[in-house]
Amino acid sequence: MRRSSRGARRSVTAVAVSAVLALTATACGDDGSGSSGDKGAEGSGKGRITFWDNNGGVRTDIWKEIIADFEKANPDIDVKYVPIAATEYQSKVDTSIQADGLPDVGGVGAAMLAGFAAQNALEPLDDRLAKSSLDGKLNEDMLKSMKAAGGGDGTLYSVPTSANNGVLYYRTDLFEAAGLDAPTTWDKFYEAADKLTDKDENAFGYTIRGGAGSIAQALDAMYGQSGITSFWDSGNEKTTVDDPKNVAALEKYTSLFKKVTPAADLNNDFTKMVAQWDSGTIGMLNHNLGSYQDHVKALGAGKFRGIPQPSGPGGKRVQVSNPVDGLGVFKSSGNKDAAWKFIEFATEKAQNSRFNESAGQVPSNTDAAKDAWVSKAEPTKLAAEALSDGSTTIVQLPYYLPDWNTISKTDNEPAFQKVLTGSLSEKEFLDTLAGQLNEAQKEWNEQKG
Amino acid sequence: MITKDIDTLAPAVPAPVADEPPRRPGKRRRAWDEAPRWQIYLPLGVYLVFTLVPFYWILLFALREPGSTSLVPWPMTLEHFDKVWNDRSFGTYFENSVYVGVATLFMTTIVALAGGYALARFDFRIKRAFMLALLCSQFVPGALLLVPLFQIFAELRMINSLGSVIIAETVFQLPLSMILISGFIRNVPYSLEEAAWVDGCNRFTGFRVVVLPLLRPGLIAVGSFAFVHSWNHFLFALMFLSNQEKQTIPVGLNSLMSADSVDLGALAAGGIIAAVPVVIVFAFIQKWLITGFSAGAVKG
Repeated sequence: MRRSSRGARRSVTAVAVSAVLALTATACGDDGSGSSGDKGAEGSGKGRITFWDNNGGVRTDIWKEIIADFEKANPDIDVKYVPIAATEYQSKVDTSIQADGLPDVGGVGAAMLAGFAAQNALEPLDDRLAKSSLDGKLNEDMLKSMKAAGGGDGTLYSVPTSANNGVLYYRTDLFEAAGLDAPTTWDKFYEAADKLTDKDENAFGYTIRGGAGSIAQALDAMYGQSGITSFWDSGNEKTTVDDPKNVAALEKYTSLFKKVTPAADLNNDFTKMVAQWDSGTIGMLNHNLGSYQDHVKALGAGKFRGIPQPSGPGGKRVQVSNPVDGLGVFKSSGNKDAAWKFIEFATEKAQNSRFNESAGQVPSNTDAAKDAWVSKAEPTKLAAEALSDGSTTIVQLPYYLPDWNTISKTDNEPAFQKVLTGSLSEKEFLDTLAGQLNEAQKEWNEQKG
Repeated sequence: MITKDIDTLAPAVPAPVADEPPRRPGKRRRAWDEAPRWQIYLPLGVYLVFTLVPFYWILLFALREPGSTSLVPWPMTLEHFDKVWNDRSFGTYFENSVYVGVATLFMTTIVALAGGYALARFDFRIKRAFMLALLCSQFVPGALLLVPLFQIFAELRMINSLGSVIIAETVFQLPLSMILISGFIRNVPYSLEEAAWVDGCNRFTGFRVVVLPLLRPGLIAVGSFAFVHSWNHFLFALMFLSNQEKQTIPVGLNSLMSADSVDLGALAAGGIIAAVPVVIVFAFIQKWLITGFSAGAVKG
């Protein structure tokens, strides 16, 4: 009998605990809109806004500082910051568009802009910018890039905050020891990759990106070597990716795999690629400005340099565009006025400068781009020059195609791995890629009329 | 009654030699008992090293100083743990994950017990179809149901509440848990319950006093599985919780990786914080877990 009553008490306790946990946990929720006002309303310019950071992680600290200053300057506005990993951002926003759960303001880079704009999720910002103190203060090329990516009608859906650029990082200590020149041309690049490789000593000349993100890097190497300066032909209908010069360039580039790179590079995403470059004896790495601070922390500023991509035929440098990052207001926001105030604040000189100094990227605010730190951080300085002084031709990738992310990632990254392993030829790979791109471009041109 | 001379039943084997110690009845020496120890421990050791090296790397990154390329975590620092726990809100994420894990454990176990009992002890017309539906539900990926689930929770104003994740996790855990528990309950003779009823118990008391104590391995298996799954699950927490104060460990870990930069020290420290509770849970319950899964799964 005693046993029975003890067991009864236990059962009652278990049920009670689970009920209390469940009831407490279900309390204090909301409808997920993240907005305090009526959906789609201009709002009072006060109250709470929710901001989704499209690149949460190492930038969380700097965003929290900017938000704290914004709230100090605008005591009536409370910003709820939500860091979301870049890899999950698109799926979270896409799901939230379908489920009507978007925030007020969010990071909207050029690479994702077309997809969000096609779903009618973003607020046009041209009029707000025209009336703002930011008008005339933002980098024209970045604005153009955002407008081009946003749907083809020239509407601005995202205010640029920063630009990135492809960088060739190389270990100055290893280059000096081997008596090599800086890899400023593709010939010097291939020579250095070969000479720095000593597999017995686990030393490699280069690390290639074979996993996630491989296509953009391969395109950069192709166009850089071939010297072709446009992604589309003169009729803007057929892509140039399968041009024989690009095929030859890709063949040369992929021949580096396992010859001067670790075999594990087949699955290299940027995390693995950067980690092994920072901790090993690998001569060169292609990445962008974003990993500069990681290299400084790991190697110290004196052991490496970050320069723009090598020059190609005739000393001409050609690079593919990196997506411009920016901030957009979501159409469903109930407090668009406050959301715009936040974007204005984050893009004005002081905040844009501190954000980009922390991120190691090129500021969109032209006054911020003149700050002293830009010339002190060599890769950023060289990238800013390359983007603005006419020495480099940028091949604009078609971020405006709603299918661009699918084609350049899901559809073709596994195929690129087959190219590396030799089970698919470079020509077959590029022909397939070109077919998909031409089809997407045709649909796009038809939609535009 | 038929009796037989015991001598006629004895096997025709020679009597043991006096010098040899008699073998213990029922315990035969097998080939691998006679194998040299190294033939057993060497492959096991190699396998163990192979398994533990990645863990060593995580520890190395978590404990060595930023920028160090040393292969040993010395000088040791807890800087990364301090950073993720305090600056990256892992203290809050941990608390939320514990909450989700424990609540899912209780809810899954209690509902699976009730459902499993019904499946084991009652016959009803659509029982087979119901069992089939339970099994089929395992093939539906959670991602497919994200939008409808989001809309349901939004209607209930449960977005940004841990309850949404707990309910979603419980619902997805239930089919397998019910099938497992019903297998355990079938293994308990019905006559035991009937005897309890004869002694004056009602059905619930009989179940609680007689059956429930015998289900301990199954309950531990189901509960731990629910806890570990909800502890590690990423998708529902990512989608239903857009408030940093409500997010869980897997989402926090993911947010340590940005698009083009990653703090490996912080990521490793976060990984250890995420792994420790699961390791502890498994260390304590491994015996029950193996018993539970083998008994429930085979005889279901």
